[in-house]
Amino acid sequence: MGPLEALVAQIQALSGSAGDVSRLHSILKQADDTLRIESTRLSSVLSQLDPASHSLGFLYILEASTGGSISKEQADIIVPLITKFLNACNAEQIRVAPDKFISLCKRFKDQVMLLEAPIRAVAPMLAALRKLQTSTEHLTPIHPEFLLLCLLAKCYKTGLSILYDDIFQVDQPKDLFLYCYYGGMICIGQKRYEKALELLHNVVTAPMPTINAIAVEAYKKYILVSLIHHGQFSISLPKYASSVAQRNLKNFCQEPYIELANSYSTGKIAELEAYVKTNTEKFETDNNLGLVKQVVSSMYKRNIQRLTQTYLTLSLQDIANTVQLNSPKEAEMHVLQMIQDGQIYATINQKDGMVRFLEDPEQYKTCAMIEQIDSSIQRMMALSRKITAMDEQISCDQLYLSKAGRERQRYDFDDFDTVPQRFTI
Amino acid sequence: MDFSSLTAALASKSYEKVADICDNLILQVAAEGYAYQEEWPYAIHLLSHIYIDDINSARFLWKSIPPSIKENQPEVNAVWKIGQKLWTRDYGGVYEAIRRFDWSQELQGLVTAFSELYTKKMFHLLCSAYSTISVQDTALFLGMNEDDATNYVLQQGWAVDPASLMLTVKKQPTMTEQKLDPSKLQRLTEYVFHLEH
Repeated sequence: MGPLEALVAQIQALSGSAGDVSRLHSILKQADDTLRIESTRLSSVLSQLDPASHSLGFLYILEASTGGSISKEQADIIVPLITKFLNACNAEQIRVAPDKFISLCKRFKDQVMLLEAPIRAVAPMLAALRKLQTSTEHLTPIHPEFLLLCLLAKCYKTGLSILYDDIFQVDQPKDLFLYCYYGGMICIGQKRYEKALELLHNVVTAPMPTINAIAVEAYKKYILVSLIHHGQFSISLPKYASSVAQRNLKNFCQEPYIELANSYSTGKIAELEAYVKTNTEKFETDNNLGLVKQVVSSMYKRNIQRLTQTYLTLSLQDIANTVQLNSPKEAEMHVLQMIQDGQIYATINQKDGMVRFLEDPEQYKTCAMIEQIDSSIQRMMALSRKITAMDEQISCDQLYLSKAGRERQRYDFDDFDTVPQRFTI
Repeated sequence: MDFSSLTAALASKSYEKVADICDNLILQVAAEGYAYQEEWPYAIHLLSHIYIDDINSARFLWKSIPPSIKENQPEVNAVWKIGQKLWTRDYGGVYEAIRRFDWSQELQGLVTAFSELYTKKMFHLLCSAYSTISVQDTALFLGMNEDDATNYVLQQGWAVDPASLMLTVKKQPTMTEQKLDPSKLQRLTEYVFHLEH
C-alpha cells in the first residue's frame, strides 16, 4: 500500500467523532509531501471518498489537486467537483481547516472566471460562506469573493441577501474593506443609497495604518452617493476616522470629485453640467460616469425640494423657471416622480397649473410604526450589550492591561489621592 | 432543468413569487453546469422582476442575456421595452409597449396581470398626486380611451367638469391597521420608564 492509499484509508477511518477528525487533521498537516509527490493521482482517489462524510480529507486532497495553473479543459472538470463538494461538505469538519477551505474557494472563483461563467460559482459560494461562518455576525474571507462574483454575474439581488447581516467579527481588515466596497457597489446598483452610504462610510472611516486604494475608490463613490441621496457632502470625516484617512483622502479626490461637490452646492445646474462635461474622461476612467449623471439629475430634485421649504403653493411655471426646466409640463413630471418616490408630499392642480406642498402625513401612530420603533430599540439594546461585553473583554486583556499599567506609572502617586488636600480643613 | 416550481407558480397565478423562483433556479442550473441560456425562459424571468417593481434586477438580468438570444427572441425584447418605459417613467408608453406585441400563450397571463396591477398603481398615484387632472392625461396614465377612463374614475367618486374636461380627484381614505397589541405598548412604556429613572 503506497503512502497515498494509506492516507485515504486513514481519512476513511478517522472521519467520525470530533476527536478522530482532529487526529486526522494533524496527520493531513504532515502529509504535504505525499500530496505534492502524488499530485497527478489525487483526482482519481477522490472517487473513494465521500464529500459529505469525509469532508476534511476530501478538502485537503481537492485543495492539493487544484494547485498550480490549470487549463480551461481542466477547469471544466474541476469546477463541477468543487461545486459538489461545497454543497455537500460538513460544516464542522471544514471549519477545522479554514485556511485550506478559503484557498479552495478562491481557486474556485479563479476557475469560473477562466471559464467566463461567474454565475456558476454564485450559489456554491454562498453555501460555502454559510458553512464557514460560525454565526451570521462573522465576516469570512469568502464574503468579498462572493460579492465580487455577484457583481460580475450581475446577480445583485442575491448579493444583497448577505449585506443586511450585522457584522461584529472580522478575520482580516482587507476582508472588511473589500466587503464594504463591493457591498456598496451592489447597493448602488439596486438603488439602496442609504445602505450603500453606510457601507462606503465604513470603508473610509475604518482604522488604516496607511492609505489604500480601496479606501480611495470608496471615498469617490461616497462623495457621489452622498450628493445623490442627501444633496450635500460634508468634507470633514468623523473624529473616529483614522488620521491617515483624515489627512490623505481629500488630496486623492480633490479633482474632480470634491470640486464636483463644490459645484453642486451652488445649486446651479448649468455650472454643474459644464463641470461634468470638462471632466467626463476622468469620471469615465474611474467607472463613475453613471453615478455622476445621477448626481446631475438629482439636482433638479434637490432644487424642487428646497422650494417646498419656502412655499406652500407655487405655479408649475414658477417651478420650471426657478429650477431651470424647459416647460411647466416638465416641472409637473418632475414633481410627479418625486411624489411617486416619496421624496416630497404635494398635490398638483392641473386646472390652475399650481402645486400645493404638504406636510409629511405620517402621524407615528400606526401599528407598523410602533413595530419599527420597537425593533429599532431592540437593535440598539443588542448593540449596547455587545459593546459592554467587548469593553469588559478589553479591560481583562493582558496586552491592554500591561500597556495601560505602564502609562499609569507616569503619574505621581499624589495624582491618585482621592480626597483633594485643600478641601480638608 | 426542473421547471415544476415555476410552472406551478404560474398556474396558480402566484406571480409575485416568480422572480424569486427564477432567481434561485437560474443559480442552481448554472452551478450544475448546464448550458441553460438557450432554453432559459428569459421573457418570464424579466417580466417577473418588472411585476414586483424591481426594475433594477430586471435591468441587470437584461444585461446578462447573451446577444444571440436578444437577437433571436423578439418576446424578450418586447418585455424589456416595457422595462425601458418604466425606467424612463414614460407612464403612457408602458401600455403601448404592452399592446404592441402579440404575447405568447405562456406569457399572456403574466402580462395581463401586470397590466391590471400597473393600472391600479397609476390610479393610486393620481389619487395621491393630483387634486385636478385633465381627462386626456387620466386616460394616458390608466391606459384607456378617454370615455373608459372617465367612467373608471367616476366610479371611484371623482367628479368631471364637462366644459373644461377636467376631473376633480377624490382622495381615497387610507385604511391603516390601528389595532394595537397592548404588549407592544407595555414594552415601549417600560423603555421610557427605564430611561427616565
